Amino acid sequence: MATDRTASVTWHGGLMDGGGTIESVTSGVLSSLEVDWANRAEEAQGKTSPEELIAAAHAACFSMAFSAALAKAGNPAERLETSATVTFVPGTGITKSALTVRGIVPGIDEETFHELADQSKDGCPVSKALAGNVELSLEAELVGAEPRRRAVPSG
Amino acid sequence: MVTWEGSGARGRGVIDAGTGAFSGLEYSQPIRIGKGNEGKTSPEELLAAAHAGCFSMSLAGELRNGEANLSVTANIVMDEVEGRGHLIRESQLRVRARVPGLARETFDETVETAHAGCSFSRLLEDADVKVTIDAELEASHGD
Repeated sequence: MATDRTASVTWHGGLMDGGGTIESVTSGVLSSLEVDWANRAEEAQGKTSPEELIAAAHAACFSMAFSAALAKAGNPAERLETSATVTFVPGTGITKSALTVRGIVPGIDEETFHELADQSKDGCPVSKALAGNVELSLEAELVGAEPRRRAVPSG
Repeated sequence: MVTWEGSGARGRGVIDAGTGAFSGLEYSQPIRIGKGNEGKTSPEELLAAAHAGCFSMSLAGELRNGEANLSVTANIVMDEVEGRGHLIRESQLRVRARVPGLARETFDETVETAHAGCSFSRLLEDADVKVTIDAELEASHGD
């Protein structure tokens, strides 16, 4: 089944001297969020931007995909903390989304954790929508993992 | 920053913006792929807000009119594609503009230029996400 999610923005004036407002979204959780060029292209001063929203979408999408992959592998996550930093270069566009994740995943080994994290980075729907010309990177850290025991040769 | 607890379909996440512009937004898998999402957001809803914001700025930048009033709605469509899982398929933009003194023809051309200049539109199209635009110039006071 296809899902639809909608957001509405109003803008008044030009790019540099004007400003916009994210008026509403399907769920109703966002309203009256201001956006403007200075907060987007220069220093953010409390206002959101398209890139921050993409970052939130990407971190959310990755977290969901990773948690599903971990559960499928028999090691459900207790907690994942994910951030995404999306880079906007005025005149060039959106160039990068850098994900970092810290995971508390009881019983999993480092190798499987990193393997599933990488797969989720490439496979989540938002990653696929960005992958055309955006550099995607991931730093994953397994928190509180027990040091791996090396197999002791017997005999 | 996103904090996720629990596994896949039974887990839930909370989204906070780095700027503090929004925080405590909840989301979950059943809500994400379900029909309605009253009270809970989803990655696609955030992308819709990003695209409407990006396109508004791009159009404002091209129009260069201090009296312009723009209303832009983006609808992001996600669907399951056999063998490829869930994919973002389409972003449908609806643009309504009041721009004193602007001719219809110039407006249509400007919308195309704005689309070409909107970094998120470009990015979606490069990833085979279809972008459609339904744009109308509405009568302004004084026209």
